[in-house]
Amino acid sequence: MTPEFNPTQYAVPLFVAAVLAEMIWAKLRAPDAYEPKDTLVSLSFGLGSTVAGALLGGFALWLMLLAYDWRLFDFGPEWWAVWWAWPLCFVLDDLAYYWSHRAGHRMRWMWAAHVNHHSSQHYNLSTALRQTWTGNLTIGILFTLPMVLLGFHPVMIAICGGFNLIYQFWIHTEAIRRMPRWFEAVMNTPSHHRVHHATNPRYLDTNYAGVFIIWDKLFGTFTPEVDDEKIRYGIVKQLGSFNLLWSVFHEWIGMIADIWRAPWKHKLSYLLREPGWSHDGSRETSAMIRAKWEARKVTGEVAPDATSVADRNRIADLGEAA
Amino acid sequence: MTSVRFARWSTCLQRVKTSVVTISPLLVQTAGSLAAILALSGLAWWMKLGGAPKLDSVEAVQRAAGEVEDGFTPIDVACDAEGASALARDAAGQIMLVRRHGNRLAGRLLTPQASAVIAEEMDRYTLTVDPGEARFGKTTLVICNPATWANAINRI
Repeated sequence: MTPEFNPTQYAVPLFVAAVLAEMIWAKLRAPDAYEPKDTLVSLSFGLGSTVAGALLGGFALWLMLLAYDWRLFDFGPEWWAVWWAWPLCFVLDDLAYYWSHRAGHRMRWMWAAHVNHHSSQHYNLSTALRQTWTGNLTIGILFTLPMVLLGFHPVMIAICGGFNLIYQFWIHTEAIRRMPRWFEAVMNTPSHHRVHHATNPRYLDTNYAGVFIIWDKLFGTFTPEVDDEKIRYGIVKQLGSFNLLWSVFHEWIGMIADIWRAPWKHKLSYLLREPGWSHDGSRETSAMIRAKWEARKVTGEVAPDATSVADRNRIADLGEAA
Repeated sequence: MTSVRFARWSTCLQRVKTSVVTISPLLVQTAGSLAAILALSGLAWWMKLGGAPKLDSVEAVQRAAGEVEDGFTPIDVACDAEGASALARDAAGQIMLVRRHGNRLAGRLLTPQASAVIAEEMDRYTLTVDPGEARFGKTTLVICNPATWANAINRI
C-alpha cells in the first residue's frame, strides 16, 4: 500500500483566497502591483502546468521507480511510517531543489523551461503560480535521482516537493518587507525571493533557494535586498507580449533556432551553456551585464534609485534584515 | 441485426460513461481552476488594478531606457504625444524604442532589422516603428521631427 496524497491539490483554495486578499491590498495600497492581463497569463500558466504535469510526468515517475529498485538503504515496506525520514527527505529535497533551480538559471536547456516563472514584470502571488509546462522535457529529474538511490520513495519525495512548492507561494509578494531577523537568516522570504526575480544587475542569478536560504549562503549565491534601489522584475529582455503560448515556448524556439544556425562545434554550447551566451559574443550573459554594472559603479555612473516598492507599500515590518 | 447494433451502441455508451467517470475528477478540477482564473482576472480588471505609466518627460524616458538596457544613457529623446511610447538615442548612435506593456514598460534596442514608416493621419504625422520582432509588434508614435527619427532608424 502506498499513501496517495497531493498537498498542492488541497492548497489550491488557499492560493485563490490569498491572491484575492493580495488584490484587495493592492487596491488599497499599490494598484500597480497587479495588471489584469498579466494575472490572466500567470494563472493560465498554473493551470497549464498541472495539465502538462499530468501528461508528461509519467516518464519521470517511471524513471524514479526504476531507480528505487537500486536503492542503497531500505526503509521497509511501510516506509511512510519511518517518521524521521520525512523531515530528512524534506531538507534533502530542498537541497536538490536548490541545485536544480541553479541549473535552471545557468543552463539554457533548463532555462527554456524555467524562464516562464520569471517572464512576468510583476511580482505578486499570481506570479507564484506561473509554473513551467515543459519542465519534464529537461534533465531536472537528475537532481532528485540521488535521493531515490539513497532510499527515499518517489512518493515521499513528491509529497515533500509539494509542501516545498506550497511554501514558495507566499514569498511571491511585495506586501511583506522583512520577516524577523532569525527567520530571514534561515528561511527563504519575500525579501530574498524578490532579489531572485529582479533584473537589476546587482541581483542577477542569485538566491536560488526554495525553502531554506542557507543553501545560497553555503554555496555563495546569496545577495541581500537593498532598500535604496527599486527592483525591476522579469527577464533581461522583457517579452513585451501577453501571448500565453509565446510566453511558454519563446525560449525553446530561440534556443532551437540558435542551435540550428550555429556552426557544428558550437551547437551543444547553445544547449548546455548559460542563457545569453553566444559563440560570436554578440549577446550578454548575466555575468557580463553585472561586470559592466560593476565597472560603471567604479566610475561613479551608478546612482541609487527610488525607494523600493516594499518600502512604499509595506504592510509588515516585523524586524530588521538578517 | 438491430439487436447487434443496439448491443454495440450500448457497449460504446458504457465505455464513454466509464471514461467520463474516470477522468471526471481531473475535469472538475480543471474546470474549477479555469473558473477561478477567469474570476480573479476579471476581478483585477473590475477593481481597476493596473494603471498606465507615462513616458512624457525626458527623465521618464531616461529611467525607462536605463531599465531596458542597463547603462543606456539617452542624449536625445522623443516622447509620444500620449506618453505611451518613446524613442531614445545615446551618444554611440544606438536607438531604443520603449513602449507601454500593460502597466509596465518594455523596449528594444533597434537593430538593422528595424524599420520606420511615416504616415499622415487626420491632421498629424505618425511614425510607425517595426523593431523586426513579430511578437514585440509595431509601435506607432506621434512625435516631433518624425522624419529625422525615421531616417535614423532606417539607416541602422
